[in-house]
Amino acid sequence: MPSMPEVADSPARFSLATEGACLRISLAGDWTKDGPLPDFPQLRDGSEVRWSVEELGKVDSALPAWIQGLERAAPPGVSFRHEGLPPRIRGWVLLASADAESDGGEESLPWIARLGLWATLSKASWLRAVSHIGELALGLARLLVGRAKVNWQEFPQLLRTTGPDALPITLLLGFLTGVIMAYVGMIQLGKVGANIYVANLVGLAMAREMGALMTGVVACGRTSTAFASHLGSMNVSQETDALRAIGLRPVEYLGVPRLLAVLAVLPLLSVFATAAGILGGMAVAVGYGMSAEQYANQVIEAVSVRSFLTGLIKAHAFALIVAWAGCYRGHVARRNARGVGEAATTAAVLGITLLVVADAAFAVLFNLFAFY
Amino acid sequence: MPEPRVRCSDLAVGHDGREVVGGVSFAVEPGQVVAVVGPSGCGKSTLMRALAGLDPAMAGDSWILGERLGGLDEAGHDALLRRVGFMFQGSALWSSLTLAENVELPLREFARCGARERRLLALHKLGQVGLLGAADKHPAEISGGMAKRAGLARALALDPEVLFLDEPSAGLDPVTSARLDDLILRLRDGLGTSIVLVSHEVPSIRRLADFCVYLDPVSRTMAATGKIDDFLRPDAHPGARDFFSRHAQP
Ligand SMILES: Nc1ncnc2c1ncn2[C@@H]1O[C@H](COP(=O)(O)OP(=O)(O)O)[C@@H](O)[C@H]1O
Ligand SMILES: [Mg+2]
Repeated sequence: MPSMPEVADSPARFSLATEGACLRISLAGDWTKDGPLPDFPQLRDGSEVRWSVEELGKVDSALPAWIQGLERAAPPGVSFRHEGLPPRIRGWVLLASADAESDGGEESLPWIARLGLWATLSKASWLRAVSHIGELALGLARLLVGRAKVNWQEFPQLLRTTGPDALPITLLLGFLTGVIMAYVGMIQLGKVGANIYVANLVGLAMAREMGALMTGVVACGRTSTAFASHLGSMNVSQETDALRAIGLRPVEYLGVPRLLAVLAVLPLLSVFATAAGILGGMAVAVGYGMSAEQYANQVIEAVSVRSFLTGLIKAHAFALIVAWAGCYRGHVARRNARGVGEAATTAAVLGITLLVVADAAFAVLFNLFAFY
Repeated sequence: MPEPRVRCSDLAVGHDGREVVGGVSFAVEPGQVVAVVGPSGCGKSTLMRALAGLDPAMAGDSWILGERLGGLDEAGHDALLRRVGFMFQGSALWSSLTLAENVELPLREFARCGARERRLLALHKLGQVGLLGAADKHPAEISGGMAKRAGLARALALDPEVLFLDEPSAGLDPVTSARLDDLILRLRDGLGTSIVLVSHEVPSIRRLADFCVYLDPVSRTMAATGKIDDFLRPDAHPGARDFFSRHAQP
């Protein structure tokens, strides 16, 4: 026996003959999975289709599949009489049609209706997001009064993966950010002979803005995506359902420790990133002939406690965003392999978008309350 | 006498070097339906996988469509698997594909038809198991019984000559289960498909199976073969008799 079936020698074809209100379709050739099947003939509403076979060659389930496709495509007034088919084929056609009727197909909606559906879906997804935030907040509140059931067992590991494991990349990005800003500053400030203020520029920008922001971006890429894909795959394998089945609240049980871990670790990382950025600026400044001591003094003078606090407040807010984006996207992930991938991607996109939005909001707020 | 579609002689199967069941010998002729029966954990699924060539056997020989498993190179083995359909106990549908795409995938890989023909065939197969309305759903969006039937539709995609069904009717309601029996009979009568199935439903076995293979968990062997009524006689294998008389009670 050949491993692959042979290509059909004589292609599937049919001829049409009209006999009054009745349309006779005569089948010929090989009707197999290995050749193309002819296009459906146009059927007039109200006509009756009958079959006859002449020189029918090799046949497999491609023929009943084609006949059923024709039945589905025909206008509702067309009737089919299958007596002319070979008994075996007729059996197949009848069996599947009977089942199709009993199952009741799902209507396909016109695109405009689907748009409406989409609108409600997206409204529903807003509601879901809000209710997820609510559940998470409730979990934290229950934790405060000692009634929450939380998976503390994974907490140390969560701390480690969100903190120390992320430290090298956070330091590197912080350092390079400082370097970039110092170069920009050197060129611009050099024009007016104010090189020395590069230290102020880098110090302030790192402490108030870039330290927390870069840390947040790194955490979105590492932590949010990890949370989303982990929680998403727990969804797929019904592990979250199993938690619910024994009376635990998945959002609380899994979400609260993640939120706390990020909240504990991300501000610290942000301090490290700020320090690395200031060092990066120093490296450039020293390259341009400034002394390290001069640079350090200038930074200490420029960066007030308030500026430092500004960065720290932001880092806490960013931590909430990073943890929530990951938990939320994982929580609502579709229950299949692709859903897990989508959860990770959308968690990163959602997290970074919210970070930037929040940063802008902070800029306005701090300005309003003259907190600088 | 035509070549048996499936044959095994003194076959032993197991996992990780540990034998689960041994001494299995029987043959399935074209158009025959054979039921593998026994208490759960006795090795029915393990035997089915080995018979279908999905896992190697530990000892003994088996043949599918006249080819000895183990005597084939990899390409020959794969070509053989294409002529065999397997429905898994746990459905094993690909979760990122819709039901129609699940049925289309074997066609895409192994048949030479175009996308339109594939879609027609997939809908035809899904229609046979009563799932036409769910063709564009994902496996996570359907019930367990529907997933079973979708697994069967996928197993039928390439019109296999031999079909292995691991507990096709477990977890189905009586109506769906009876319709599945009809489909199995039609496969046997219409296409001459040989079917090896695992089942616990005595009425269904009585209706479908030409004979049963009873795997005994105590002796870890194939303890008996025969018609279901042979097992209910007083002189039958005690384990098998016990098994069937318990299951025969309503
Ligand atoms: N993948 C596996 N690895 C190791 N042992 C297995 C595996 N699958 C099943 N077993 C063992 O093999 C035995 C038979 O299992 P199985 O063939 O699934 O039984 P049945 O289908 O009759 O219920 C059981 O004892 C089971 O624990
Ligand atoms: Mg089993």
